Amino acid sequence: MAAPTKEEILKIVKQHLADNVEDMDESKFDPAKSMKALGANSLDIVEVVSCTMRDLKIKVPRAELAKLNNVNELVDLLHKTAVEKEQAA
Amino acid sequence: MTERVTLAREDDGIAVVTMRDEANRNAFTEPFVDELQAVLRAAATDGSVRVILLRGLPGIFCAGAHQDLLLELTSGEVDAADILLSKAVLDLPVPSIAAMEGHAVGGGLALGLCCDVLLMARESRYGCSFMNMGFTPGMGITRLLQDAVGEYLAREMMFGGEIIRGARFEARSGVNHVLPREQVWPRALQIAKRIADKPRHALVTLKANLSIRHRRMFEETRTLEAAMHRLCFAQPETRQRILENYTRPEPGREGETP
Repeated sequence: MAAPTKEEILKIVKQHLADNVEDMDESKFDPAKSMKALGANSLDIVEVVSCTMRDLKIKVPRAELAKLNNVNELVDLLHKTAVEKEQAA
Repeated sequence: MTERVTLAREDDGIAVVTMRDEANRNAFTEPFVDELQAVLRAAATDGSVRVILLRGLPGIFCAGAHQDLLLELTSGEVDAADILLSKAVLDLPVPSIAAMEGHAVGGGLALGLCCDVLLMARESRYGCSFMNMGFTPGMGITRLLQDAVGEYLAREMMFGGEIIRGARFEARSGVNHVLPREQVWPRALQIAKRIADKPRHALVTLKANLSIRHRRMFEETRTLEAAMHRLCFAQPETRQRILENYTRPEPGREGETP
């Protein structure tokens, strides 16, 4: 199975955001923004990221996740990790 | 140095215990546990107190055990002293109200569940993070959570470790009130005032009666929980999982949608 594309990963993140942040306005979703700016609190973010990693069957250390500034950076990091896992397999 | 836990009087007969250790996000560190114990003892022994409110920071009620404390447990050198916090709250001689405006995770949720009346915020999250870190739940939560959220949701929460938005408990759990965050404290105070106008001797008598079941359940389960902990904390995997999966709620005015 090929590693998922960035678009596919973004779709998964967006879905988990919508599931976890009930008051998020999906029409205003902008991956250049941080999840916090999109209305998520710290534990919402934990849930969104862990659900996404579970779907992708990858793990990224918390320390690396803590450095991220927005959804695009999260998608890039998850994509990079998924590709590396694919290549190692 | 600012106090981590304070005791104040809101009104006649109402004592307010506030956990306010912003630096450590209201996580159980040794000094925090000591201060909370001391404040609970002071409130418990004050003959003018008729009801006790327990609250945290606006964004975090309580984060449960600090990561450092959990890592120490894996070395087998210390005993979990936080178990005594559950007992201290369960043993309060007057009614207690947990105003959980902010997130409550793991032992932090257990602490709230030891109170007589529970209030949660719709936007905050509540859950059992224990198993995410590879060890079984503690502080009595294996027996207390069922009463708050129902048997099957409690199992899902304890097995799966999901930290759930308060809104999900609304109207389908034993939690007294699930409200928008800014309404939690006023409502808690309102309930406290209603209780505080009753005579103390009657409140103490009724509390002694109504708390029997939880106190008995707690005594039963603490032995079992301790045995499960000995098993889990001895596994080398647990240390790694604590490092990887420790849930760290952040303080501040988060959760308020901009």
